[in-house]
This record gives sequence, structure tokens and C-alpha cells, in this order.
Amino acid sequence: MVSPLWAWDGLPLAVVLSSFVPGVLIMFLREEQTLLRNTLNMTGALAKVGFVGLMLQGVAAGASYEWAFEILPGLELSLAGDALALLFVTLSAVLWLVTTVYAIGYMEASRNRTRFFAFFSLCVTATTGIAMAGDLFTFVIFYEALTWATYPLVVHSGTPEAIRAGRTYLAYTLGAGAILVVGAVGFEVTTGTVAFAAGGVVDPMAVEAEPIRYLLLFLCLLVGMGVKSAIFPIHGWLPTAMVAPAPVSALLHAVAVVKAGAFGVIRLIHSLFGIEVSWEMGLTTLVAVLASFTIIYASVRALAQTDIKRILAFSTVSQLSYIALGVALLDPLAQVGGLVHLVHQGIMKITLFFCAGVIAQTLGVKTVGAMGGVARRMPLTMAAFTVAALGMIGLPPVAGFISKWYLGLGALGAGAPWVILVLLASSLLNAAYFLPILRTAYFDEPSESWSDPWPHHRLEADWRMVLPAVITAALSLAVGVFAASDWSPLGWALLIVERGGL
Amino acid sequence: MESILTPLLGLAWGIPLALCLLWALPSGHRLGERLVPWSALPALLLALLSGGIDGSGTGLTLPLLFTGAEFSLDPLGRAFLLFTALLWLAGGWFAAAYHRKDPRSGAFFLFFALTMTGNLGLVLAADLLTFYLFFALMTFAAYGLVAHARDRPARRAGRIYIVMAVLGELALLSGLLSLGAALGGVPTFGAEIEGSWRLLEGGDASGLSLLATGVLLAIGLGVKAGIVPLHLWLPLAHPVAPTAASALLSGAMIKAGLLGWVRVLPEETALPVLAMGFLGVGVFTAFYGVLMGVPQDDPKTVLAYSSVSQMGYMAIGVALLVHDPALAPLALAAIALYAMHHGLAKGALFLSVGLADRAPRAAGSPDDPWRRRILVGAALPALALAGLPLTSGGLAKNALKDGLGELGGVHYAVVDPLLLVAAFGTTLLMVRFLVTLERRRRDSLADAGAEGSEGAGFGGLLFPWAGLIGIGLVGVAWMGIYTPITGDAALPGLFDGWLAGLAPVLLGGLAGFAVLRRGEWLGSFRSVRIPAGDLLRPIEWGIQRLPRPDQEAIVERLEALGGRGTGWVVRAFDPVIALADRDLKSIRGAPLAVLVFGLALALVVLLLR
Repeated sequence: MVSPLWAWDGLPLAVVLSSFVPGVLIMFLREEQTLLRNTLNMTGALAKVGFVGLMLQGVAAGASYEWAFEILPGLELSLAGDALALLFVTLSAVLWLVTTVYAIGYMEASRNRTRFFAFFSLCVTATTGIAMAGDLFTFVIFYEALTWATYPLVVHSGTPEAIRAGRTYLAYTLGAGAILVVGAVGFEVTTGTVAFAAGGVVDPMAVEAEPIRYLLLFLCLLVGMGVKSAIFPIHGWLPTAMVAPAPVSALLHAVAVVKAGAFGVIRLIHSLFGIEVSWEMGLTTLVAVLASFTIIYASVRALAQTDIKRILAFSTVSQLSYIALGVALLDPLAQVGGLVHLVHQGIMKITLFFCAGVIAQTLGVKTVGAMGGVARRMPLTMAAFTVAALGMIGLPPVAGFISKWYLGLGALGAGAPWVILVLLASSLLNAAYFLPILRTAYFDEPSESWSDPWPHHRLEADWRMVLPAVITAALSLAVGVFAASDWSPLGWALLIVERGGL
Repeated sequence: MESILTPLLGLAWGIPLALCLLWALPSGHRLGERLVPWSALPALLLALLSGGIDGSGTGLTLPLLFTGAEFSLDPLGRAFLLFTALLWLAGGWFAAAYHRKDPRSGAFFLFFALTMTGNLGLVLAADLLTFYLFFALMTFAAYGLVAHARDRPARRAGRIYIVMAVLGELALLSGLLSLGAALGGVPTFGAEIEGSWRLLEGGDASGLSLLATGVLLAIGLGVKAGIVPLHLWLPLAHPVAPTAASALLSGAMIKAGLLGWVRVLPEETALPVLAMGFLGVGVFTAFYGVLMGVPQDDPKTVLAYSSVSQMGYMAIGVALLVHDPALAPLALAAIALYAMHHGLAKGALFLSVGLADRAPRAAGSPDDPWRRRILVGAALPALALAGLPLTSGGLAKNALKDGLGELGGVHYAVVDPLLLVAAFGTTLLMVRFLVTLERRRRDSLADAGAEGSEGAGFGGLLFPWAGLIGIGLVGVAWMGIYTPITGDAALPGLFDGWLAGLAPVLLGGLAGFAVLRRGEWLGSFRSVRIPAGDLLRPIEWGIQRLPRPDQEAIVERLEALGGRGTGWVVRAFDPVIALADRDLKSIRGAPLAVLVFGLALALVVLLLR
């Protein structure tokens, strides 16, 4: 009997290499070798989606993947592909593919594209590595690599503003990285293991013996993860980093850096300490309260902005904390809500950034006030933006509603009805900053100063930028409309929780 | 109902939704504008054909859709589907003629189709979240109808509408979450939702969460239904929306709030406080709408207030439903009848206003044959609304009174006479409407000057209007025949209590026309001025005078809390960054990346050893 394709053990490595190899190869290309560069990029992106698809089949059929490479005796780089890892890997593979198409269109006239695409691929490599890291050691390596791979992207334009943003970015992430390493080493020394395991590896008895030590370890790790996950008060780098080119912001805010942080928080609570132990230590309450505060605080900040990308950046800070909030509640439905939002926030937010980018690129419109008439000039783009914005508010049937529904059910189940108030307030604030954008775009008169006024007999903008936005908007809608399907993010999140994979 | 009708449960809302896709095609909206007005036909077909079938039990299940969407058609749903589909058809026909020359008709019909999808879907939805999905779709799409005119009043009305809608939506969602969490899933309507309420009752000794859930649901849906004080958006939105849209708002959409109440509130779990709340608010609303409506000058505002008042009556029906399971069949019959009656009558009345604006006029001639015809035509649904015996309104009011009679006791003794007084008020309000309608016709003639109008496409305005009036008239007989529509309860006879029904109408009519002829008391209100949206002005005034926190200062302080404290860290990294910058500029980055990977790796390895 021929074993199925998904039975190949090397799949996790293949997933990581499918972006690493193109990334390294692109570094040696010349600037004008556009075709070759794009081919490499697209091949890698498609290959990654293919490998991930195989792994999805395998995990759904009950298989699990492990791949390890011993660096030094007793210390190995280990990649694992379980249901939880795949949730994140699938998100990054799919969004990397669409973002690559978008970036090819967006960066067409830009300089230093070789550098850009090389680091772009490395950035995704690090993200998939984080997703599939089988232990804390591997996690930390890829986590630090992500910091460095993203920096050139943030400062890409080279303007003083970008350099400043990059500096802030590095300061936050390197600082947190250092604390993370301290925490990781401390964890290894204290518990004798760095492996991730469902339900946690910390012994409750040991915690009782040395509560302060474990508390400090948790806090170190939380700071390390929290910076990338932009939890208040260590979120400051994210709104600054939005000076990066639109495809970078899109990937940064949807998948790469911020999700690495959020995923880290999941790993910290569920795979290292275990939700029971964390809860007994009162740490889940700490995370839930911090996350709740971040949700409200960032939304209030978003309300005060006029620049669309800045609104979106604060919105990211807010929405990310839904994930931390969900996984910190002691109820399986809340955890489903948090997990599923990892995916939902990604596809909705990437849509919003795609749209903001293409609108800015095509019309030169960057502020809410200038959005008048954009819906008539760019109907497809605005339709995509509308779907994603309504999803962020949490209106059914868009993805965001599913997250909110499960978070709400879980909050009531966990006996924390105050979380409902947070969710409602957040929805209200989201409505307060998204609906005026839609109103202006659909119901106000067009502006006179568009850089590319009415096109005739051609698409509203470069198809390579419009299409990705439409695809991710359709995805945001589809994952909500077909939420009950086994293959929807919700179905997958339910699978993770059912299998006790958290 | 596993039959040839089952697919119609999906097509009824699926077809209008699918038509929206036409707008994605270049010039597809032209075809869309032609098809959308007729896309409520499958829904009407379903409502008419499902007559003899007992709709309880099976329905259409789409397990992959949303959280597992279920659709079915029970007797109550059938009554709602019938008038809702009729109104959307009439409204679509009317709008097609009305917006013939409107440059933004494309946008209008897109929102029209989306709103219709929501409205028809929520009637057929058989589980909590599917209902909520279509309810939200209707609510948000209707913004496009309200704000269609794009001028200042439309913007203001739209803003008030959306703010209240969002707040209502949140209250509704929190109530639904509570029901869902009790059951640990999404309850379907009927037995499961009753079970959910029982679990909620059992899980909480204080009864607080039970009551809170009931109140939140009542408020969330009450914004749509327009009961006082949640009615504020209604008198603003109706006058500014295009005529067909106003007819649909008042005739069909606000009934979604009513249907929602019936669907989600418990029949078996007793919530006496909530029932009394509904009774009190209902009676108050019935009076309040009349009081605020009579002084209005715009016929559409008068009608909007009349809708507020009438929704008060329907809230009384909900009170009966929530109060006592034994009353449920009667209450459901009364609610179904009342909703149908009011939907058709109010739809026709709103269309009269559009007709008064657009009916052909003879150039230069003082004759205006249409003035009388419109007034006589509008008087028929107006009389029904006032509750004249032998009309649909008389029947509906009788059914409600029967229910109150069964309730008995002090409630009946107090509420029944009050309703008589309210019926008197409704008659006055209808007289006021006819007066303002006549004036509007006169003004529109004066505006048109000597031009006259060609009257092309007038049939498209006339037929739906006349059709709704006609259906409303024969509706009485036909409601009597089709008892399945009202469930188990026997309908009251046509002649029951006709004297008590006739008296307020006669008195109100006499009083209205008497004072009208004498001192123009009803004709002009120079001393009493109530702006549309009554309480809104004082509320807005109050909000503007609230002490405003200095947002800038707060944000600055928050920012300081979050960002400035880390400034020294940022500066500490300057040397590293200078290095990285130089590398990025001089070389193409590959060595840097390798270096960084290696360094990071080495660092961690060393630390972990």
C-alpha cells in the first residue's frame, strides 16, 4: 500500500524551508532580476501552501509531526506539527501567498526590492518556525530571528521617520527578547525541561514550594511575549511601526510579529504553565485584566486618530488582546474564541491594510476626511474594506462575530460576566471609528485632489493589489458564513480544544 | 414541512441576496434595479402556499452555514411573512416608479435588496443566531435607505438611527449570549429556547440574571420596535427616507422587533416583572405617540408617531404572552393579527404621501381630481388604524381585548378603558394626518406651478398603493377564513364589541373635524411646537452641556504611561541601530541576516548550556 503524501515526516522542515530557501536565494539576485525574483517568491509561497495543506490533512486524520535536529548534545531544534501549530501555520502560509502578490504590485516602483523580498521571506520563515516550535528553545530562536528579519522591512523607506520607527521597534523587541531569554533559561533551570506539552509542564507542587520564583518566571516570559503581542503598556512600538510599506504593515499586523507574540502567550499559559496552574497562581486574571484594559485603551486611542493606517494600527493593538483574553479564561469556549480570533483577526486586519494601502497608492488618500466618494471610485476595494470593518465591529456573519460570540459564551461560562462589558464596549468603540469611515466613503462627495481620478475601461487599481484584498475579504466572510464547517477556523479551534491540544 | 416548499425557505431570502451580486458586475446594477423590486415573490409564494401545512417541526437546515442555520415557517411566522412579503413587493413596485429618474437609484436598490434579505430571512429563521444575523443585516443595510437623500436632515436622521441601532444591537447580543451560555450552544426557537430560559432560571437563585436577560432582550429589540423611550430614531428617519422606504420601515421592519420579542422571550418561564413592564410601557407608548404626533406638520412624521403609538398596542400583546403560558395562543393570535393589520394599513398610508407628491396635475387648471381620490383612498386604512369595527383594525383590537379580558383582574380594569381613550386619540391622529396630507398635496401643486406633470409611470405608484388598501379591506374576511395563520386560538367574531369599537372612532372623528372647522385647532399648532424626535432635542442639549473630559490631556497621560517610560530603553539601543543602518545601506543585507541568525542562535545556545 502506498502511504499517503501527508505521511512524510519532513513536512515541518519543508514548510519552514519553502520560504527560507527563496529568501536566501533572492539576496544574491540583482535589483533588476524582477521575473526571477517573483518566480522564486511565488514558487515558495505556493509550495508552502501545498505543504501546509498536506499537513492539515494529516493532522485531521490523526497524525502528528515531529522533526528534530540536535545542535549540541541534549539541545535540539525541534519542529512539531500538531493542530494548534497548524492553526497558525495555515494562517501565515495563506496570507503570505496573497501578500506576496500584493507586494509585487505595491513595490513595483520602489527601490531596494531585492532586500525587501529577501527579508520578507525570512520574516515568514521565522513565523512558521515559531508556530511549529516544539519547545521553548526553538521558539526563542525563531522569535529572536523574527525581530531581526522584520527590522529591515520596518525601515524600508529609509526616511527619518522610518528609521525612528525602526529604532523604537528594535528597542522594544530586543529588550523584551533579552527578558524572554532570561525567562527561558530560568524556566529550563527550574523545571528541567523546555518542551511544550498540552496542559503544561509545570508541577503544581513545585509552584506551591516556590511561588515567587515561578511568578517571576511567568512575568519574564509574559513581558517577552507581551511586547510583540502589544499588550499595554508595552505596545508603543506597534503604532509607530506603521510607517512601513503597506504589505509589511499588513503582514506585520495580521500574521508575523504580533501573532508570534499572541501565539507565545498561548504557549506560555497552556503549553508551559498549564491553564490550571496559571489560574491557581492568579496569573490568568492578570493577563485577562491587562488584555481587557488594552482592548479598551487602544480603541479609545484609535478613536482619536485621523490617519487611516494609524486607526488600523491601534485597532490591531485592541483586537490582538482578544486572543490573550480568550486563552486566559478558564473555559473551553473562551479558549476557542481566543484561538479562532488568531485567524479571524489576521484575515480581517490584512484586508483592511491591503485596502488602505491600495487607496493610498492609487488616490493618495490617507485620512478619514479625504475618503469621500472612494466607494464610487474603487467599489471593489471599498466592498472588501466594508466587510472587514464590519467584521471588526463584530457583526454577523463576518469572522469577528464568531470570535466575539465564543468569547462571550466562554466569559459567562467562566463566571466572568465583566468580560461581556469589555466586549460590548469594544464593539461600540469599533463601530465609532469604523462606521464614520464607511459613511464618508459611501455617502460623501468625491474629493477633487485624487492622484488618479476616474479610470475608464479598466480596473479601479492594479489588480495585483485589488485581488488580494478581495480574496481576504471573501475569506473573512466565508469563515463566518461557513463557521459550522469542520474546515473553518472555528471547526479547527474546536478540534484543538476537543483533543486537549491546548 | 419536507415538501416542495422546503427550498423556498432558502430561496425566499437567497434570491434577493443573490441579486446583490449583480452590483459587482460592470453595469450589472441596471439589471439589478429591474429585478430587485420583484424578488420578494418567492417569499409571498411561500406564505400563500404553505396554508394548510402545519409548519412546526421540520424545516430547512443548512448545517454548514454560519453556526448551523435553521429555517422554518410556523403559523406566526407565516402571518409575518405574508405581510412582510406583500409590503416589500408593493414597496419595490412603488420605488421602481418613484426612483425612475433618481441618479442614485442604483445605490438605493442595492440597500433595498440587502434590507429585504434581512427582513425576510429573520422571519424564517428558526434559531437564535440566524435570527440575529438577518436582524443585523436588515438594521445596518437600512441605514442606506434612511440616509438616501444625502442632505443634512438625512445625515442627522441616519446618525441617530445608527447610534441607536448599534446600542440596541449590543443589548440584544448580550441577552442572546446569556441564553446561549445557559444552554452551551445556539438554541433554536420553541422548545430549546424555553429550555434555555429554564436553565437560566434554575442556575440563579436570585433571579437577577434571568430578569437582566429578559430586560436586555426587551431593550435590544425594543429599539427596532420603537417603544418609548427607544423610539427617538423613528420620527426622524421616516420623514427623510424615500416614501417606499418609510412604508417598509413602519410597515415591515419595526415588526421585526415585535417578532423578535415573541421568538426569544419565554412563554413558559414566568417573568411577571417583565410582563408588567411591557404592559406599562405599551400603554404609555400608545398615548405618548398620539400626544407627540398630533402637533406635527409633516404627514410622514404624523405617521411615524402613529407607528410608535401602535407598537405600544403590540407591546401589550407581548405582555400577555410573557405573563401567562395559558394566554399564549390568544396573545399570539392578537399579535399576528395586529402586526398584519398595521403593516398593511401603515404601508398604504405612507404610500399615500408619495402619491400626493407625484400624482399628475393639470397645468394651469385649478381642478385637482387626484386630491379627493388620494384622500378617500387614504381614509380607508386610516379608519382601519383607528379601529373601526368590521375593518382589520377592529378585528385586531378585538383580539387584543379578548386577551386582556382573559388576563382579567385589576390590569384589565385599568387598561381596557385606557385603550378606549387611546383609540380616540388614534382617530384624532388620523384626522391630523389627512389634514397634513391634503396640505402637502396643495403645496406640491403650488411648487409645481404651471408646469403640470406628465404623470408617466404613475401606474407604478398607483397600483401598489391601491393594492395594499384593497388587501387591507378584504383582509378581514380572509383572516377569518385562514384560521391556521393565528395558531390554535379562535378569532373573535367580526361583530364582537362593535359598539365599544365604534364609539371612540365616531367621537374622535367628530371631535377632530369639529375643531378643524371651528378654530383650525387641528390645522395649526402655532403655540405648541414639538420637534420630530421629541426627547431628542433635550437629550442632545444635555449631552452638549455635559462636562467634557479633556481628551487630549487624557490621551497624553495614557501615552506617557505607555510610551515615555521606555524612552531611555530606546536611546540605549542607538549604537546597535546605527550599526544595523550602516549595514543595510552598504551591503545588500545577506551577511547581516546570516550574522544575526548566527548571533541569536549562539546567544541562546550559550545561555542554555
